[in-house]
Amino acid sequence: MQMYPEQIATALINESFYSRRLVVGMFVIVNVVMLTAGLLWPKSYTGSTSIVVDEKSIMEPLMKGAAVATETADRNRNVREVILGRRILGQVLERAGWLADHPTVLEQEGLIERIKARTTVTAVGRDVIKIEYRDNNQERTLFVTKTFADLFIQEMVAEKESETRSAFDFIDKQAREYQQKLTVAEEQLRQLRSSNLDSRPGSDTELSARLIALNTRIENTTMELREAEMKHASLERQVNGEAEVTVLATREGQFRARIAELQAKLDTLRLTFLDTHPDIVQLKYQIQDLRAEANAQRERRDKFKPSDRLETDEMVVNNPVYQQLRRDLSQSQLTMDALKARIAEARRLLQEEVDRGKGLHSGDARLVELTRDYQINREIYQDLLHRRERARVSINMDSDRQGSSFRILEPAKSSLSPNSPRFWQFMLGGAVLGVLIPLGLLFTRLQFDPRVRLANAISEEHKVPMAAIVPHLWSPGELRGLRKELAILALVVTATLALSATLSVVRFLGVL
Amino acid sequence: MSKIEKALKKAGEDRGNLQLVAAAATRGRRAPWTALLGQKIEPPRQQSEPPRQQSEPPRQQIKPLGQQIEPPETISRMADNEHKLLSADELRERGIIHPKQTREPAVQVFRELRTKINQQSRGQNAVILVAAVSRGNGASFIARNLAAAFAFDSAKTALLVDCNLRNPSVHQLLPGASLPGLADYFENPEIAVSKIIHPVGIARLRAITTGGLREIPAEYFVSMKMRRLIESLRERYRERFIVLDGPPMSDIADARILSELSDYVLIVARHGRATNAQIESGLSAISSRKLLGIVFNDEPRIPSLR
Repeated sequence: MQMYPEQIATALINESFYSRRLVVGMFVIVNVVMLTAGLLWPKSYTGSTSIVVDEKSIMEPLMKGAAVATETADRNRNVREVILGRRILGQVLERAGWLADHPTVLEQEGLIERIKARTTVTAVGRDVIKIEYRDNNQERTLFVTKTFADLFIQEMVAEKESETRSAFDFIDKQAREYQQKLTVAEEQLRQLRSSNLDSRPGSDTELSARLIALNTRIENTTMELREAEMKHASLERQVNGEAEVTVLATREGQFRARIAELQAKLDTLRLTFLDTHPDIVQLKYQIQDLRAEANAQRERRDKFKPSDRLETDEMVVNNPVYQQLRRDLSQSQLTMDALKARIAEARRLLQEEVDRGKGLHSGDARLVELTRDYQINREIYQDLLHRRERARVSINMDSDRQGSSFRILEPAKSSLSPNSPRFWQFMLGGAVLGVLIPLGLLFTRLQFDPRVRLANAISEEHKVPMAAIVPHLWSPGELRGLRKELAILALVVTATLALSATLSVVRFLGVL
Repeated sequence: MSKIEKALKKAGEDRGNLQLVAAAATRGRRAPWTALLGQKIEPPRQQSEPPRQQSEPPRQQIKPLGQQIEPPETISRMADNEHKLLSADELRERGIIHPKQTREPAVQVFRELRTKINQQSRGQNAVILVAAVSRGNGASFIARNLAAAFAFDSAKTALLVDCNLRNPSVHQLLPGASLPGLADYFENPEIAVSKIIHPVGIARLRAITTGGLREIPAEYFVSMKMRRLIESLRERYRERFIVLDGPPMSDIADARILSELSDYVLIVARHGRATNAQIESGLSAISSRKLLGIVFNDEPRIPSLR
């Protein structure tokens, strides 16, 4: 149901009047409870101290770039765990005198839990942590706070030292490991080199150059060979066309030439002379003789012909061109043979080079691998050597307390007066709550009570007109009773307030 | 009243009753809105016409005939005849308002309620049933004070009828506990209506108790006699408002029967007592035409203590 503020206020006032005893009763109860709580509430003092923590892991700068450290947990939580750890709390327990009456382990456990509950560790800014401790004893508060700070720093320094030491040990171990690896790599490299002499850096290019040269040579020689072959073929064709000897140079030929000559002369003479002329007769005889002679020659030659032996008589002249061709031919044959031999040789060399190249490649890959391992190992090793030296310096620094990153920013101090809620706060709270709680409950009842308490709620709910809203008719007797009741209730409220005020004053004066 | 008067009255009543029976048999139930329309109550007119005609001429004729309708002057005289009127404080002690308590908000509220009903009935008298949604909602208080408020007006009278058979309360207003009431009227046909109407010490206000101490069965309300009684009460004095102090609506049968007998119904819901469910079921039992509305009773309000 929608209610306007003034409607709510009126309804609340009427309801408070209606349930006046309940309201006053609750007012009294709330006040009494609050006053009792105020009286019994333990005094508590708070001690606080702040510490600058520059807690960078020693591993971090030392291992920077070389290794990635695992992500450390949230730092504040870390610090909290250290401070509220069993080690520091145990010592606090001992130093603050809680162990004086020899509590059992279970009791110690309870004490530790209570101290834990009273201690807060908060991060103030980036590097400052604040430790706060609450206790009901001022001296002990101060002492415990101080002890917390001291023990924490002590613990952190010790931890840092051990951390540095372990970092150094780790780096040292790593360095030694890499040294060994490096030695092994070097040895492997050396062995490979000695077993594979060809395998030098650059032998690859050399090989390819040689292969190219050989191929070129083979090609050139092949070309030359082809040329020589062509020349040879040509010479052979020419030789076949040429006669071995010149026929004109035979004796028969000479005779026939003489005969022809003389015949010509005879013909000429016959033009002028008769056959009886002496010259002509002489010539006739001469020709006759020559012919006889020529025939004799022919016969002799034919006689030798079946033996197929060149008749070398003085009259046979060898053909000079033929001779020359024959010479060239044999010369070209020689050249061809030489070229063929050269090609074969070059091919053999090429094959050799190719075989050698295959071996060279497999060796090369291994070499590259070994070299790479070697180089990486060497780099890491050198790096580790540097780091080891730095770690050594860090250890020295720690031992001299030079780079200490923990210091007390604000020394332990304790509040002079108890900072638990004051008695007057309880008193005031009681008075305010004593009014608010009953009003709240009445309001809740107005909202949720199935019984109708508001006239307009009925007309809204049932859509019927409200004929009349009849207030209670107070009879004179009832009014007298009401007056009395109200007086008593007012008295009760006044007494409650007076009681709380009195207690407050007494408390302020320090009696209670 | 003298014995003669009583005899006359009784004779008149008996005659009226017989007439009413005949009328009820012929016309059935009276339409409730006839009063709202300001019509004269039709069926009884035939029977009541002779008295009215007699009432219009000089008034001295009325008394011997003992007829129902009496002019305001008679009422005033009747007020003078009251045995002993209670003082304002005595009334308040009994939870009844008094017109002189002008500062009392309840008085104002009841006056307004009365005026509202007067407007509704257009000056006619009416039978008003006051019923609580459940027991303990203070219907008797409302009925009693509503009747008292009607009686404020010197020209009107009121009759409070206790119909709450299981939990009667009207008898508390009467000095004697053993005065005859409804039960006696139903049980004993010889008892006249006038015998059960008792003054309560408030001017112009009369009351009918349940009578006796034994329980009256609810069936009486259904009986023709009850209907006749109501009709005769209504007709006897035109200026008389009849307030029925009804049983809670949780006794649906009784409440429904009574609502049929009455012209208007007021449902009483008390602060911190009635639930919405009860109100809902009470409303469902009542014809919306008769329903005047809900009376929200006992609203907490800080009284003036001076």
